[in-house]
Amino acid sequence: MAMSKEPKKPSIDLINKTTHLMHDGMDAIAFGEFEIPPALGDARWTDELILSTWHMAATGKVPENLNYKTGDSNGGFDKLEFKYISEKDWIKNSDEIETGIPLNRRGDERAKLNPPIPIYGGGMSYGSVSVNVMMARAMNAKKWNTYMSTGEGGYPEELYQCKDHVITQVATGYFGVEERSIQAAPIVEFKYAQGAKPGLGGHLLASKAGEEVAKMRGSVPFVSLFSPFPFHSTYSVEDHSKHIDWIQTVNPNALISVKVSTPHDVDMVAVGSYYAGAHIIHLDGGFGGTGAAPEIAKKNIAMPIELAIPKVHKFLIKEGIRDKVTLIASGGIRTGDDIAKAIALGADGVVLGTSDLVAMGCTRCSNCEGGPSGRGCPWGLTTTDIELQEWIQQEWAIKRLDNYYTAIQWRIRDILSKLGLDDVKKLVGRTDLLKYLGGGN
Amino acid sequence: MQLLNKSEEKEEGQKLDSNSKLTMEEFAKISRERADSYHRYHIEALETRDYQALPNRFIVKVGKIGLAKLIISETFTYWGKWDVVFSRPCTYGVFSGPVGGFSPRPEKCVGCLRCTVQHPDFVTVEHNPKRKAMGDNYLNSKIISTIDEEARKGTVPVRGQGYRGRFGGPGWDGMFTDMSEIVRPSRDGIHGRELISTIVDIGSKPLSLKFDNDGNLISEGPRMFTIQVPFIYDAPPNEIISNKLAKIWKKSAENVDTLAILPSEIVLANNLASPSVVPIIPLNSLDCAKSFKSGTRMVELDGWDSKSYDRVVSDCPDIIVGVRLEFAQGWQQKLDEMMLSNVPVIHFVADNHGIGDGGRFIMDLLLEAHQKLLDAGFRDKVTLLNTGVIVAADHLPKAIICGLDAVGLNQPLLIAMQARLNGDLSSNDYGAKFPRKYTEDWAIQRIVNLTCSWRDQMLEILGAMGVREVRRLRGEIGRAMWCSHLEDEAFSDIDGYVGGGK
Repeated sequence: MAMSKEPKKPSIDLINKTTHLMHDGMDAIAFGEFEIPPALGDARWTDELILSTWHMAATGKVPENLNYKTGDSNGGFDKLEFKYISEKDWIKNSDEIETGIPLNRRGDERAKLNPPIPIYGGGMSYGSVSVNVMMARAMNAKKWNTYMSTGEGGYPEELYQCKDHVITQVATGYFGVEERSIQAAPIVEFKYAQGAKPGLGGHLLASKAGEEVAKMRGSVPFVSLFSPFPFHSTYSVEDHSKHIDWIQTVNPNALISVKVSTPHDVDMVAVGSYYAGAHIIHLDGGFGGTGAAPEIAKKNIAMPIELAIPKVHKFLIKEGIRDKVTLIASGGIRTGDDIAKAIALGADGVVLGTSDLVAMGCTRCSNCEGGPSGRGCPWGLTTTDIELQEWIQQEWAIKRLDNYYTAIQWRIRDILSKLGLDDVKKLVGRTDLLKYLGGGN
Repeated sequence: MQLLNKSEEKEEGQKLDSNSKLTMEEFAKISRERADSYHRYHIEALETRDYQALPNRFIVKVGKIGLAKLIISETFTYWGKWDVVFSRPCTYGVFSGPVGGFSPRPEKCVGCLRCTVQHPDFVTVEHNPKRKAMGDNYLNSKIISTIDEEARKGTVPVRGQGYRGRFGGPGWDGMFTDMSEIVRPSRDGIHGRELISTIVDIGSKPLSLKFDNDGNLISEGPRMFTIQVPFIYDAPPNEIISNKLAKIWKKSAENVDTLAILPSEIVLANNLASPSVVPIIPLNSLDCAKSFKSGTRMVELDGWDSKSYDRVVSDCPDIIVGVRLEFAQGWQQKLDEMMLSNVPVIHFVADNHGIGDGGRFIMDLLLEAHQKLLDAGFRDKVTLLNTGVIVAADHLPKAIICGLDAVGLNQPLLIAMQARLNGDLSSNDYGAKFPRKYTEDWAIQRIVNLTCSWRDQMLEILGAMGVREVRRLRGEIGRAMWCSHLEDEAFSDIDGYVGGGK
């Protein structure tokens, strides 16, 4: 990839100037001091959704003048609405509404993890994002007593200070998988597939696989990395069960999460995963995020998460194991409203990825894979470029995420209050509380 | 061949002919020769520059006064710290010209919007309306941009972030392909270390073979040949086609081992007959079929008429005779008649927006045609093709799932050549403005690149499904999911949901 000059670590003055301009600009636009940039947004993440996320990340509150609830995709979450009860029956002290969920429902001796929000952070590998971004997400997870996943790129040393809140991902390339990082993890996540590229494995383009990234992954610098698909050691549920046995031997206390995408038989896969020993079934829908994926794979392969959640939820009930397993949804969940709708459709909780990035400034320009510069995200998010990664300063990013999660939790409680529910767990599978908005697709 | 051990080698002691036992040395030599002559099919993509670049995606506007004020202010603030003074809010070079932001380079803009966020008071980035206005509501600017990139690079477009569009949608957008979570060929297949075949059979296969008591075949064998990719290059509209274009079609088809379907008069006038060229025989000019006996593997009759068909078959007994058929009212009856006449290749020609008989979308029509052939026990005796409506790589596997063996392309090839189409793109009543002074080699490489990209994307989809060859995808509706069906399943118990995309 042609570059005009070799990037170098920026000076403190340059970092300060650049970040100051970025942060001020984000706030000014989100607060309505300037017109909404005309090229911002798309059908799934509209301009208002992006700006409302920036607003929440800046203030910890939902905005008054921006649509922070839905996108413009004309389907799925964007066509669903809650049937609120009469205002006089709303729960008054909504701060007391319970939003925590248990992650271990198997009744075994393993850790009883109960994050206070029905949210944890999805896998974004070192290489796809910088250490600064990973650390900000991990520190925020620690603050919220929830979790974030390493993704498939190894476990940078810095993360160990948050180890009780870091999920170690084992994916098909086994990049960076070590006994130490498995032993450190409260949850070990097997990534069988990713919603943005189901059936295709991971993908890190050469320009982003620099020396530090390669070292972490045990690969050759600046060589494109394709995780195979599937696990070459897994061709049946029995093989999958052996995988889980292996992890449980290395770390007898860790919960096991199985992340799968959403094919036609995802319900059967979920049941198989449960019987193989999984505590968490993590469904990643077709509109999920990615650092790099073939465009044809996004949306065209497998189904959106809104359609997969009820399918799996109902099948787990039918099989009599719904209360023994935690069902987590991801892949296109953007807002507090989406989270509540996913739970009403049958999930216990959700995993966020893209919205974390948007909170830190992402405009969804889709150049995460490297873009024409080959250097990755110009905002410093999905890059390990020595200069660009400095645009994300940890302290600022942690605060943004903390604020965002505060606003999201408020919105979940707001919805529960208006439904007359005092606990998010009571919302699970309550499709009777939803209505579908007509108007044609 | 049979291999000898050393002692046997000595006993034989002399050079052996090809039917005799071989020495180790001879065996090694022959093996080496065979290995050296081995050829694995692949398409040679080469990055091929633009002759007529698309309008820029974005317009970048910079307020000159605001910029001047910023420069003055930063020069004073950061005097001596030139890395800070000269830093620019763009990693793509939009402001890297000799006068920086005073003359931005919008052709380099990717829409990250960092500049407008950092300087909302004097920088604006807008979508370029000229870019947005390309094409029409089906062959839209996004699809044109994608084809342009595929034809330039020959690679699979890879981007970060997730899907950006509508949930489901009309036409092909309402269909998802399935994937296999665990039991499937390795992704290695996509990268050429294992084989995923995209070969397609063109012609007719008998449902059974008959042998006499001596084991000799007494029934007719398959009348077919193979092409390497499930797409063929179909003739562009009469308003557009030229001798130069016909040669490009032919040479591109030869390059990737597929077929170019061209009007017979152009084939004859330019001496283009070749195994890769399929002349179209007009119903009012059947005699010209006799001209295509040498080297031609297939001709297409331009419409259905049983007598005309019989006559061309009689005139060209060694050539596969296919029939082009519009998806217009009465196509089912014509399909029945063609089955009776054992037509080996049926090539549907659809409206370019995919609207056919009764206003139905092509997806339904293809499913019906495929099912009709299945019900008649005729499906393996005929090759189904369709031209029109396939303008993006994801349409290809979806059309094959609906029952096609291969698809015909013409509009995407024109876009690959950076032609600007004008007129009614839904019909064949449209024109094209090609780049000035483009060369044949350039155009061929652009088409080859597009083919390579689409084939590789086909491999991605097949790989995700765990299907090892594209022939097995034909009519495999179990490998597809329709958004409307999934919505019915997921939302039927939700108030207000009525189904049917409403």
